[in-house]
Order: sequence, then C-alpha cells, then structure tokens
Amino acid sequence: MKYFPFLLALAALFSACDSKEDLKKKQYYVEGMELYKTHCANCHQNDGKGLVGLYPPLAGSDFMLKNKELVICAIRNGLSDTIVVNGKTYHQPMPPNSQLLALDIAEISTYIYKQWGNKEEITETKEVEKILEKCKKK
Amino acid sequence: MRELKKVRRAGLRSLLLMSVTYASLWVAGCSESKRELPILGQKDTKVKMVDGKEVIDTIYHQIPDFEFLNQDSVLISQKNFAGKIYIADFFFTTCPTICPKMKTQMLRIYDKYKDNPKVAILSHTIDPRHDTPGVLKEFSKNLGISGSQWQFVTGDKAKIYELGQKSYMVTATEDNTQPGGIVHSGAFILVDENRHIRGIYDGTLPEKVDMLMKDIDLLLDKKQ
Repeated sequence: MKYFPFLLALAALFSACDSKEDLKKKQYYVEGMELYKTHCANCHQNDGKGLVGLYPPLAGSDFMLKNKELVICAIRNGLSDTIVVNGKTYHQPMPPNSQLLALDIAEISTYIYKQWGNKEEITETKEVEKILEKCKKK
Repeated sequence: MRELKKVRRAGLRSLLLMSVTYASLWVAGCSESKRELPILGQKDTKVKMVDGKEVIDTIYHQIPDFEFLNQDSVLISQKNFAGKIYIADFFFTTCPTICPKMKTQMLRIYDKYKDNPKVAILSHTIDPRHDTPGVLKEFSKNLGISGSQWQFVTGDKAKIYELGQKSYMVTATEDNTQPGGIVHSGAFILVDENRHIRGIYDGTLPEKVDMLMKDIDLLLDKKQ
C-alpha cells in the first residue's frame, strides 16, 4: 500500500499518454485521498458528507467553493468561527493540524476540490505556501 | 508398504477428527441464538447460610450508584436507567481524534433503538471543565438528539475518571502530548438492567458496533 502511489506513477509513465502535469495531478489526488482519510475523515467522513449538524459536509458545500483560502488556512490552523454551509450554521471548532506541510495541504486540497467540488485543477504547493503566509498575518 | 498404510490410517484418523470437529462447530453454530453473554469484571464469592447449610454466592461486578448533571442541567442517576439496558461511553466535545468516529457509530445505535424505552445511552464527558451542560446541550442538539434516551453527562472530573476506570473498566488519563490533551479508549460498554457489564466493544469500528447491536438484541430477547 505504501508503494501504491509509486506504482501508479510507474504505470502512468509506461502508459505514456499522461503528460507530466497529469501525472502530478494524479499523484496529488491519490496522496491527498490518503491524507484526507487520516486527518479529516474522522469528522467529515469518508464520503465527505459530514455528521448531522456537528461537522459540516464538504460534498456539495457552497462554503468550500467560495472560500478556498480560508479552507486552506483552516486545515493548518483550525477554525473557531461560526460558518454557514448550504444555509446551515456550524460552530463546532475545527482543531488545527499544525504538523501538515504545505505539500500535504496542497494534496488534500487537490483531492477534496476534485472529489466534491468538481474542480479539475491541481492545488499547487507554492500556492498553498503563499496562502499560509497570508493567514499567519491575520 | 506398511509405512504407506500407516500414513493412510493416520490420514483417515485426522479426517475423522476433522469431521467431528466440524460437526460440533456446526451444532454450536446452530445454537447461536441461545448464546449467553458473559458478566464481565471481577467476581467475588460470599458464603451464605441458607436453611442451616453453607451456600456459596457469586457476587458479580456491578456499576455503583452515580449522580451527574445532564445536558438539560438535570441531576440523573442510576435510577434513570432502572430496568433498562444501556450503552456507556467516555468522550469530550472538542476531541479531534476518536470521538467523532465514536459519535458516528453511537448515532447508528441511537437510530436503531430510537423510541425503544428499554434501551438508553449514557455518554460521559471526560473534560467537564469545558463540557458544561450548556455545551453538551449544543453538542447533542447538533447531533440531532432529542428526548431523554441519550444522556450526555458532566460532573466532578475525579469521580468521572474513577467511575470510568474502576467500574466501566476503560482508560482515561490526561496527557498533554496528545492532541486534545486527554487519552482515552473508544470503548462502548454494554450494561444490562442489573447493572452488570455484558460486553465491551471498540466504538470506532463499524463491525464491532454491529456485534454490539446483535448483543443488545440478545439481551432484549431475553427480557421478553
């Protein structure tokens, strides 16, 4: 299982249809899925539907689509503000994940936005680094 | 040649042994519905005199009397669970690790036995400083819980810890190196109407909780 992303990368290499960019995107998606299961799925669930009124859904979430920078900051630093997702109010605080690197967060973001936000584009690590710098200043 | 016969005989014998084992397993499998749940915990014996004869009585481990504040700031005790089977657990509302998993699973139990007056749920907070009745109320409301079937309780921290460790046989200790600052087990404890513990299950695993629900049905069946 540890080698799965590597094998996937290898398989993709041999298929030779994927561009380097596509390969990276797939890698981010697969790694992001694993990280999501470890760090996020406890509350937001494997299917991204959240838990009743306690933990908001990611699947079909208008909040997630509108607030990508805030989502990225929240993954790293947690969130204690009340938020409104699809018209419903949530105020259970989200704990910080200060151990996650910019790369990890970029992978998680790539996964959740592709899986539940219909966003095909990759979230670049550099982009996450910039955003994290900004949320520190606030 | 003789060697071969010996081998063959040994083979036959093991085949016979195997079929006997399987047959007994099969019979045991059939009587699954009559499975008895054990009474867990330390047993003690007491010698009693009955009609001038010495009789040895077994004293089973039992959940002692307790009194805590629930999510509606009402004092509740063992009396609220009299004649009921209940599932107990230990958690805290800001726990980032296993509690969300436990609550996801406990919600399955709640949904299955909703409105069954013989089944109750008792969730103890192990962070009473933060988890006041008001916080517990908000938490339970957000989980979609109403009524009195699922009680969320808070109280004196030392008492909750002691009850957890000594009576429900679960671990709960403070550890600042852990996320959330408290280590605790994700156990669900099944308690019968006589306050005996009949099973302890990992409340973070769906398959263990399936088993718990089977065992609840078993206890309910017996009660009727």
